[in-house]
Amino acid sequence: MTKQELITSLKKIVKPYIQDEAAFENLSEETDFVNDLKINSANLVDVILDVEDEFDIEIDNEAMEKMLSVKAAIEIISIKLKEK
Amino acid sequence: MIGNDIVDLTIASKQSNWQRKGFLNKIFTVNEQEFIKNSNFPNLTVWLLWTMKESAYKVYVQQYQHRFFAPKKIQCEFISKTKGQVKINSEKYNITSVFHSNYIYSTALSSSGGYSSDDFFKMKDISYSEQHKECYKRLKRALSEKYAMPIEKLRIKKNSIGVPKIYQNNKQLKTSFSISHHGNYGMYSILNSAK
Repeated sequence: MTKQELITSLKKIVKPYIQDEAAFENLSEETDFVNDLKINSANLVDVILDVEDEFDIEIDNEAMEKMLSVKAAIEIISIKLKEK
Repeated sequence: MIGNDIVDLTIASKQSNWQRKGFLNKIFTVNEQEFIKNSNFPNLTVWLLWTMKESAYKVYVQQYQHRFFAPKKIQCEFISKTKGQVKINSEKYNITSVFHSNYIYSTALSSSGGYSSDDFFKMKDISYSEQHKECYKRLKRALSEKYAMPIEKLRIKKNSIGVPKIYQNNKQLKTSFSISHHGNYGMYSILNSAK
């Protein structure tokens, strides 16, 4: 999967949880889930569970700790996909 | 330092399904999960523990200027029904919680102490940005009274990691405060020194 494909699928995953439409429209690698998209932190757990389901990977606690931005998420997903 | 977190229970039941497979295990320690399982009111217990964790985390972020998403590293213990203690690494936070059939909120204080003034309010508009503005407005009003300063001189700006700070003209004030809003409810907490 290319980085762009990962971003596209991540964008689909976060859509139901965002609370800032403008930041969502302009989503890029630099976008922060909490500070920019205003995803509430309970829904961040849903994002992580959805990522696990979508890519059939496991996000362990250590990886989850860093999952605060699009950039961190795609890095983690790429690593976990390679490990499969 | 101070942190707070509020959950609107009606909105939470629409936004989050904590019964979803894997959900509790991503957030709660074995002990906390056991506590939820044995509770007569598991829904309330889930959100009570959540506000305890979130409020303590908000203090930790102010202290260490470091953000992370590791709810299991934030460990809760109850002292009584409304008092608790939360540990994050070597830090301990004292938590006071308030609950009602429609909402729960918690306020966390760092070990350096003090006491909090909390103001809780209902909000009509549930859009995130409107609520955010309303909380800032109310907080500024309270601080302008506390310090006898004109409200126009006060500005709230988020720092590089997203923690809001208060400025008078361009000088940052040292007051520790926290805001939280969810669904129909909002609150702010201001730390008062122990003296």
